[in-house]
Amino acid sequence: MRQVIIALIPATIAGLILFRIRAALLIVICVFVSIATEEVISRIRKKPSTITDYSAALTGLLLALILPPTTSWYGAILGSIFAILVGKHLFGGLGMNIFNPALIGRAFLMASYPKMLTTYIKPFAADSISCATPLALNKFSQIGTPLTDLFFGGVSGSIGETSAICLIVGGIYILIRKIADWRIPVSMLVTTIVFSTILYLTNNAYGSPLFHILSGGLLLGVFFMATDPVTTPVTKKGRYVFGITAAIMIMVIRVFGGLSEGVMYSILFMNALTPLINRYTKPKRFGA
Amino acid sequence: MIHVEEHKDPQQNLKSESFLLPKKLYLPISQHVGAPSKLLVKKGDEVNEGDMIADVNGFVSAALHAPASGKITEIKTISHPSLKQSQGIVLNCQHQQKQDSPRKNIEELTSEQLIEIVKNSGIVGMGGAAFPTHVKLKPPKEISTLIINGCECEPYLACDCRLMIEKIKEIFAGIDIIRKLINPKEIIFAVENNKPEAIKKINLAISTKKIGLSNVRLAIVESAYPQGGEKQLIKAVTAKEVPPAGLPFDVGCLVFNVATCFAIYEAVHFSKPLIERLVSFAGDALVKPKNVWIKIGTTLKELFDSKVLEFKVSPKVIVSGGPMMGVALTGLNFPILKGTGGFLFLANTSKVDESVCLKCARCVDVCSMNLLPLEYSKLVKNNEFDSLDDFNINDCIECGCCAYSCPAKIPIVHYIKVGKACKPKK
Repeated sequence: MRQVIIALIPATIAGLILFRIRAALLIVICVFVSIATEEVISRIRKKPSTITDYSAALTGLLLALILPPTTSWYGAILGSIFAILVGKHLFGGLGMNIFNPALIGRAFLMASYPKMLTTYIKPFAADSISCATPLALNKFSQIGTPLTDLFFGGVSGSIGETSAICLIVGGIYILIRKIADWRIPVSMLVTTIVFSTILYLTNNAYGSPLFHILSGGLLLGVFFMATDPVTTPVTKKGRYVFGITAAIMIMVIRVFGGLSEGVMYSILFMNALTPLINRYTKPKRFGA
Repeated sequence: MIHVEEHKDPQQNLKSESFLLPKKLYLPISQHVGAPSKLLVKKGDEVNEGDMIADVNGFVSAALHAPASGKITEIKTISHPSLKQSQGIVLNCQHQQKQDSPRKNIEELTSEQLIEIVKNSGIVGMGGAAFPTHVKLKPPKEISTLIINGCECEPYLACDCRLMIEKIKEIFAGIDIIRKLINPKEIIFAVENNKPEAIKKINLAISTKKIGLSNVRLAIVESAYPQGGEKQLIKAVTAKEVPPAGLPFDVGCLVFNVATCFAIYEAVHFSKPLIERLVSFAGDALVKPKNVWIKIGTTLKELFDSKVLEFKVSPKVIVSGGPMMGVALTGLNFPILKGTGGFLFLANTSKVDESVCLKCARCVDVCSMNLLPLEYSKLVKNNEFDSLDDFNINDCIECGCCAYSCPAKIPIVHYIKVGKACKPKK
């Protein structure tokens, strides 16, 4: 888990550069509250302290990176507590949770403070000038965003999701160091490209394949949420099923759904299906 | 399959030594798969080297012979490396010179007579499983491929490798006897590619008319673990998979370890039952690792008392067998059994506490039987023994790849053994 945090360093730095003090505050709050919640619950459950395994810190960091920079301090605190308490410990703690805790925290805030979670600002701006995300601009206003902006991060979005290059660097680190299996990220990316290409060819208002890969939370989700071993399938076949289905669902929500972005709900939905996927994708029995 | 640190150097290059004059022998009557042997002796009996002291007791069972002349001092419960305890015979040795008596007219022996000789020599599979060999020699189906297993994929162990280097002629004579009995279309001699010297010897033997057999083919397989596992080896050399709960003959194969071939040779050519074997002693707690010919029943304690083996430092762990499938021993009062290929004496253990399973599925990736090992440790911890069969726990060969690869250091094989023992019998 420390390795995953290391892989998140480029994206975190990008977030700090783009959104300055707001990003710094949210990251500090989320990480601190997550660790504190973890420790308190461990003591209540009379379990050994688990701070040193970095899992709570990782959950806090991931949650901060998927929040809009304008999220209020109490939103960050509530989201972190919810992520650790409900997302993780109610299921039995580390290794037992069904859903990705950071995504659970964000989903909770999305349901509780929908306005806060859908208000985004321009990066580098001293004042908070609200500005829709590239996905929302494309979907609701038919305004395109230059791919180079998406690639380097000069667009509005959640703290850690705007700079594609930083996420790709972290993702490559994860795959090269074999911190996570490559099957889910690769199948998700390939499916996204294939599916968005088909849609783009039917109507190029849907956005190009590169636009869909580089925008929104896709890369963050692919490399850092869908690679969480605890909440994703253990079988190789199952990982392909997870990756392909999640990517299709993301594209369906983005293109046909009411929301402009679908990474969070798609991955959470696939988390719920994971036990079922494991059950039906057992490896072929030796000799059978 | 995984690649483990092999530790075959220097073990593979150590010429075998002998320690054949022990003072006392401890002989469990359960040294094989199947029913324990039936005692033929009682306390106070005098026996000669090679006398049968316990007989076959049922269809799957093996006989036991006195490894040395002497007096039976006790019949009692003795330490057993894997069963913890077993009934056994204690023999006080009074060594007498015994001449080898070569058997004549071997060519004239019928199949039945040959199998009877193997049966009455107490031969079992010497690669570790210790399945009675005479039972295997009467397969209920036609055998097209006879596989000779010289893989020895367990790290550290080199007794099979040394045997191939030093006794290849005898091994081939043993193979010839098996060939006569089961009449296979093809004989495959399988060796891992980390044994160049043994490979040289086998090639030489195959090309020498006098010892070579016409239909023997050498198959050099990749050095990996558990390449020497019966089902894995059959797949590696014939591409066939033994069906679940099946046996090698279900796919027309039969596998014999090289040491078993040697034992068959000695039994048939010299009327010598299985009373000694080559054993590897390895590990960094020893002054010198060794490969030693030893009487079955010799205790580790006696080997150290008589300075055959010496400790450099006191060992933290003693293992009967190799590091992957071996059993940790609680002391030195354990005898060497027919199926024991080696002992390991390690000065250090990196004992790390087990942490929680994060479902990283490394165990799934390395499982040599395509199972989901993480499910077993989870189910056993939760006492859900009923569900173990849903994940085909009986397919598990306990090779240990899962536990070896587990980043959380979960002793998965331990949980699997508990699970197999506790699950409801059908």
